[in-house]
Order: sequence, then structure tokens, then C-alpha cells
Amino acid sequence: MKYKFFAFALSGIIITVGIVNITTKKGLNYGIDFAGGTLIQIRFINPFPIADLRQSLSNIGLGNSKIQEVEKGQREFIIRTMLPEEDVDQELEAHVIMGNKVVETLKKDEDRLASEKGLKDLNNIEKNQLTYIFQTSFPDKAEELAEKIIDFRESAEQKGIIENLNQLTTELEISPEAIELLKEKTYLGSMSIKRRETVGPQVGHELRRKATQATIWALIGMLIYIGIRFKFAYGVAAILTLAHDVLITMGLFSLTNREINLPVIAAIMTIVGYSLNDTIVIFDRVRDNIKILRKLDFESILDTSINQTLSRTVITSGTTLLTVAALYFFGGEVINDFAFTMMIGVIIGTYSSIYQSCSILLFWKKIFNPKKGMGK
Amino acid sequence: MKKNLRWKTILVVFIIALVVFLAYPPSDKIQLGLDLKGGMHLVLQVVTDDALNQETNQEILRLREQLKKKDIEYRTIVKGEEKIGRFTLLEFDSEKEGQIKELLDDYFKEWNHTIIGTSVSFSMKSDVDHYLRNLSVLQAMETIRNRVDELGLSEILIQRQGMTGERIIVELPGVEDPERVKGILKTTAFLEWKLVKAGPAPDQETLLQDFGGKVPEDMEILKGDPKRTEGGYYLVSNVAPITGKDLRNARRTTDEWNSPAISFTLTPEGGKRFYKFTSENIGKPLSIILDNRIQQVANIESRISDSGIIHGRFTVEEADDISLVLRAGALPATIKYLEERTIGPSLGADSIRKGLSSILIAVIIILAFMAFYYKLAGFNAIIALIFNVLILMGALAYFKASLTLPGIAGIILTIGMAVDANVLVFERIREELSHGKSISSSIASGFSRAFKTILDANVTTIIAAIFLFQFGTGPIKGFAVTLIIGITASMFTAVFVSRLIFDLSLSKRKKREKLSI
Repeated sequence: MKYKFFAFALSGIIITVGIVNITTKKGLNYGIDFAGGTLIQIRFINPFPIADLRQSLSNIGLGNSKIQEVEKGQREFIIRTMLPEEDVDQELEAHVIMGNKVVETLKKDEDRLASEKGLKDLNNIEKNQLTYIFQTSFPDKAEELAEKIIDFRESAEQKGIIENLNQLTTELEISPEAIELLKEKTYLGSMSIKRRETVGPQVGHELRRKATQATIWALIGMLIYIGIRFKFAYGVAAILTLAHDVLITMGLFSLTNREINLPVIAAIMTIVGYSLNDTIVIFDRVRDNIKILRKLDFESILDTSINQTLSRTVITSGTTLLTVAALYFFGGEVINDFAFTMMIGVIIGTYSSIYQSCSILLFWKKIFNPKKGMGK
Repeated sequence: MKKNLRWKTILVVFIIALVVFLAYPPSDKIQLGLDLKGGMHLVLQVVTDDALNQETNQEILRLREQLKKKDIEYRTIVKGEEKIGRFTLLEFDSEKEGQIKELLDDYFKEWNHTIIGTSVSFSMKSDVDHYLRNLSVLQAMETIRNRVDELGLSEILIQRQGMTGERIIVELPGVEDPERVKGILKTTAFLEWKLVKAGPAPDQETLLQDFGGKVPEDMEILKGDPKRTEGGYYLVSNVAPITGKDLRNARRTTDEWNSPAISFTLTPEGGKRFYKFTSENIGKPLSIILDNRIQQVANIESRISDSGIIHGRFTVEEADDISLVLRAGALPATIKYLEERTIGPSLGADSIRKGLSSILIAVIIILAFMAFYYKLAGFNAIIALIFNVLILMGALAYFKASLTLPGIAGIILTIGMAVDANVLVFERIREELSHGKSISSSIASGFSRAFKTILDANVTTIIAAIFLFQFGTGPIKGFAVTLIIGITASMFTAVFVSRLIFDLSLSKRKKREKLSI
């Protein structure tokens, strides 16, 4: 409790800086879920220097696209493109066309030549078409062969790309005749599209509204629950603590220019639940201690309660933080934003439960019922 | 006490057996979300205004017919430009106002009408408006389902967003050619046969030369599909004796020049109508129109009853796809895509692998920590944790909830948070022990005092998860579901199962000096 003013000041500064940054500078960096746009995850057969990639995109007027490297080695990228602000009313088709342009410009000349010759791209071919290629020479095994090759290509090891035909011989034991046929009828395209998402602007705006609403309703729901189980003042203190967590997290997102997408919102709502968890455990102690330690003043009761629950708070936060860290480091690119948000959230949530929630409760009580004493 | 313990043990064993039965083998029993198995997620909007527009057009035709029948003269009928579902009859013969009133009451009950001077303005009643919009969404869902079935895709999901929404969510796992599927779903596929009055002409003025520059009331101008005709403008009758609704079947075939074409057969009733129509119009040019674009114009050479061929310079794929959508039926309104996400199977496989290894790492870290910090009691928590994950899996399988990547994150988070309930209990027990209470009473009061805390703390997280579920789309819903189930299960395992383990181990020895915690 003795650090309460320091903690207030610290949080106050972070929140103010965050809000100032959000309102006056670039604001929040909404991902395509909320702003509308196209996301394409592409894997190349050979490393594609990120500078070249950016250059190719600038050439078609999409130089402001965000490029994110997946894993090291410059072979896989996530490209996010958005239409300029004045075009937000455009239909989804505009985004789709833009996505097609991105894919088209990244193709290599060899790809275009081969496909003009009528060859099929083995790195993007569908099972049916591949079966069709095998049909004449291997009528009995056509489907089996096609399935084997496609499954191999789509396995977690290959990640959607066959690097050279020798792989098929060594790992799948495909017969030389079949390989010859593939050489004749297909080529290994230089890239494979692993994920493609397009969100129209209409949906984006709506999602933003719905996400805000859901967060607010969740906060109200919790306020009511705590109001019933505890007292109104506790509910208010808990909700203010949560608002504190959400504001700091959003502020950090704005400062670090990290993207806000759907999983991030899910993470923020989870933090809300999680941070509350900590706060409630402390409040629960306060509730008990008010009955047991009647002689102490309210501030000391708060202090005692925090200390009594401290080891639990630290252990639980520690275990959660460890699991979320596992997700952050090993969970892969798609879940990375989520894991990052959870990591900050768990830390902030714990900090706020220990340093903020009780202080807020104390101030609230001092302001609104100073005479009744601090007990009941 | 002992008997009580036995029953509790049986109950726990039964629950574990049940969830294992439900979830084993997990590769069969647990459904994966699109983000893990690959596939296509589409959100489309039914432009219900179209359905209202069509209805309005039909009503205008009907009004014209009735006025002609009753011999009432009028200047014209104009359709409301800005608002959907409105039209106005202008300058009717004022002497026949009584007859008009009668007509309105008898035939136009679904419309509000107001007579001002010699004009009547019609506006669709709001319940009819709602009914038509709702109907068009339901019909669109039905049509889309038919088309997807024709494509031979399995495990599909077609769902309306909200009870009264105009949006449809379509989830198609394992789609190989997303662009083709999108094209097929989007085609309105409204097929009509109409007589051609003039055309083709390069522009509208030339087309209307013989008609005094104005489109006659019973005709309309349509464009030729540039891919299948010479293009240009045609003047056609605005009444279609036969439409796609009269089709019984449509298939790709090859015509006499060996190029792909579409053969169709009509329903018996449609066939009769077509026979009558072709008999009356032999020698006249007839057009086949798909989604307001003329596909083919040919002179009626003989009477046609129930089958025919559409030629139209199709490719094999086009002929296949068009006959597919004709078989599956037309959409009642146009649709547009609002959101589309395609995930390749290799990304899904990668996500599963990374997700599983993060779960494993998380579990190992937690187990090591609990065993180190709480010693023997830590093992108790470990057992509770494993049960927790099992119950989570069983519940996922039972509710047929799909496991998504955020869902895996939910599991990992649950693992982190589930320990919390154990920690709360153990810390309480340690406290009670340090106050000098006996082992068994420490355990008893530790559990009972921690329970209230556990309940309050977890209910709030569940509240957050419920709101998240209600707001979120596919993957996020998966996260909310695993979180809700996981937390609920953690309350059960931490409070009930782990208590039972304590009690069992205490009952074995009569007197126990020390509790390893």
C-alpha cells in the first residue's frame, strides 16, 4: 500500500502516453479483420529477399503493404494489403482483385513461361487434376499416386512446397516412369499460397463495433456479479482495475505499432477475465479479514490481505505466464499476436491486482463513505 | 466416511471412463476447425432488396393487366427510384375512381395505397417486406446448400448469421479450387426464355429507331453476353413464358458441332406451356437469358415440348458449372461476398503440430513446477490437471465443438489457470497447518474456505468468455468454448478430484504425522 501513489503515477503516465498516442498520432493499427483488406501467406521454393519483395509490391502501387517474415530464411511471408482510406467503401471484389495482383506480380518468369506452354504447376495443382495427368499412363494407380503426392506436399514438413522431384523418389518411392511423366506435364512453381483472407470493409467496421460492445457488456456483467457477491464498491474498484489493464494494453499496442486483430481482442477479453481473477482472490481475503481483524483500519486490512494472497498470486501468474510463453515461442506465427497480448496482459493484470485494485477500493471508500468507518 | 469415499471414487472413475470413451481416438472424435484442417470460410450477404424489387415489378405487371381488363385509362406507372417497394399510378381516369378503389381492395391487400387526386401511390406493407426478405434469405440458403451438395463436398456448414440476419456463413473444408466454388455460389442463375423484338444493335438509339426512340411498355432492353453472343443491345418482351423454375434437369452435353452445350428438360407443366408458346410463335427469334444477359438467340423452328439444348460457345467447365447451378436452382436475390478466408491444409497441419508441442511444453513446465513446489501434493494437482484436459477433450467431442487454433490456445491457457484452483487450496492448507491445526482438519477447512474464492474468481472469467462466444466468429468461438469448458472442469477437478485424492491417501494410514505440501 505504501507504493500506491507511485503505482498510481506510473500507471497514470503509461495510460496518458498511450491515449495521447492513440488519439493524436497514428492511432491503433487495425489488422484486416477490423479495417478490411487482404492477407496472403506465401511460401517460396527459394529464398526471396524481403527488399525485392517490397520492391515488387511497390511496382504495382502496393508499397505500403505490411510484410512479415515467417520463420527465418526468407522463404515464407505474410503480406497484408489494405486499400487506401478513400476507397474503404469499395466492395470486397476490389480487395480480391488487389490480392490477385499481388500473387501475379510475385510469380517468376519461369512460372509464366511454363504455364504458357500448358504445363501444370505441381505446387498448386489440385488432386483431381493430378489424377487426370496420371490417368492415361497409370490407370490403376492414378488416384493413389496423386493422393500420395498431394498429401506429401501438404504435410507439416513440406509446408505446401515440393522443392525438387528427387524428393518424390527418395521419400515417396515414386517410380521413375511416373517422375518422367511429371517432368513432361508439370513444373515446380516458385511459390504456394498457404492462406488467403479477405475481409470487406463493411464487416471490418461492424466487427470493431461488436468487439467494443462485447468488451463493455462483459465488464458490466462482471460488475453486476461482483456487486451481488461482494459490494458495489468492490465491483467498481475491480472494473476500474480492468479498465486500467485494457487501456495499458491498448496503449502498448499503439506504441509498439502491433496489429490489432480478432485473436488479439480475444486475448484482451481473456486478460479482463484473468486479471479479475487475481483481484477477486484479494478482495475475497479482504472480505474475510474484515470479519476477523476488526481492530485494524481498512488500509491495514487491505495490506494484510494482499500479503496473505501474494504467494498464490505470484505462483498462478507464474504458471500462466509460463504456459503463455510456451505458446509465444512454440505456437507458430498464426497465434503469435494472441500469445504476445496474453503475455503482456498477464503481467499487467498481476501488477494491477496487487498494486491498483486495493488502492482504488480505498480511495472509493474514502470519497463516498468517509464517516461510516472503513469496516462494513 | 469410507463408504462415502468409495462412491466418490466410483463416480470419478466413471466420469474419466466416459470422457475417454467420448474422445478416443481423438483424431476421429474431435472435429477440427477450418483453420486446422484447411478449407474455405465465406460470409455472404443476400441483397434482399432484389427480392423486393422483383416482387414490385411483378405487382406493376399485375396492376397493368387488371387496369387493361377493367378498361381503365391512365398515363403511366412509375416505380419508386430511391425507396424499395414503392410505385405510383399516375393520372388515372378520374371517373373510374370507384372501380380503382375496388381493385385496390380486392387485389392489392399486401400494399398500403393512398389516392391523391388522380394518382395512387403504393408502398409495401412492412410485415410483407419482412416476410419477403426473410424468405429470400431462407431460399438462398437452400439454393446454396443444393449447389454445395452438387459439388460433392462433405462436412459443410451453412448457417444464418443471427436469427433474422441477411448474412449467411458458409464453411467448406477441403476445397480444392476456391475461385470456382465462389463463382458457382455467387451466380444468381436466373434463366428465362423471352421473345426478341429487335436487335442486336450497337447502341440503344439504333435499337429503338423503329419504336420512336422509346421502349414500349411491354418490352425491355437487355445486353448480349459478350462471351456467348456478338454483344450489343436487344429489345425483348418483358414476359417470360418459361423460366428456370420450370426446369427439371440440366446437363452438359455436346451439340452437333461437337462443342460443349447444355441440355435441359422441363417439368411436364412447363413443357405444356412451352409447347403452346412455341406453336404460336414459329419463325420468331427466341432468346435464352441468364441473369439478365442474353446467352443465345435462335429462331423457333418447330414446336418444342419438354427438352432442348442451349448452345452458347461454352467451355467444358462453363457448361458443367452452368448446368450445375441450373439444376440446383436460382438464387432469389443476388449475393455478395463480405468476407472470405481460405486456409491451405499444410498451414493447418503445421498449426496442429506447433499447437500440440506448445501444449506439451506447457504441461511439462507446470508439472515440474508443481512437483517441485508442493512436493507430493503437487502430484495430486498433476493428476487433477490431466483429468482436466481429458474432460475438456471429452466435452469437445460430446458437444461436437470444433477445435480451432485459438481453441488450442484456450486449452493452454486453461492448463495455466486450472492450476490456480489447486494453488488456492494448497496455500490455504499450508496456512491452516501453520496455525497448528491437524492435517485432516487443515485439509477440510482449506478446501471449504478456498471453494468460495475459486467460485467467485472463475465465474467472472466465464462471464467474459460467454460474451466473447456471443460476439466472435468461428475460431474465436472455439477459444471461448474451450475456455468455458476448461474452467468449469478445473473447478470440478481441483475441488472434487483432488480432495478425494487427499482423503484417500489419508484414509490409508490411520495416523499421519506430516503432510507433504
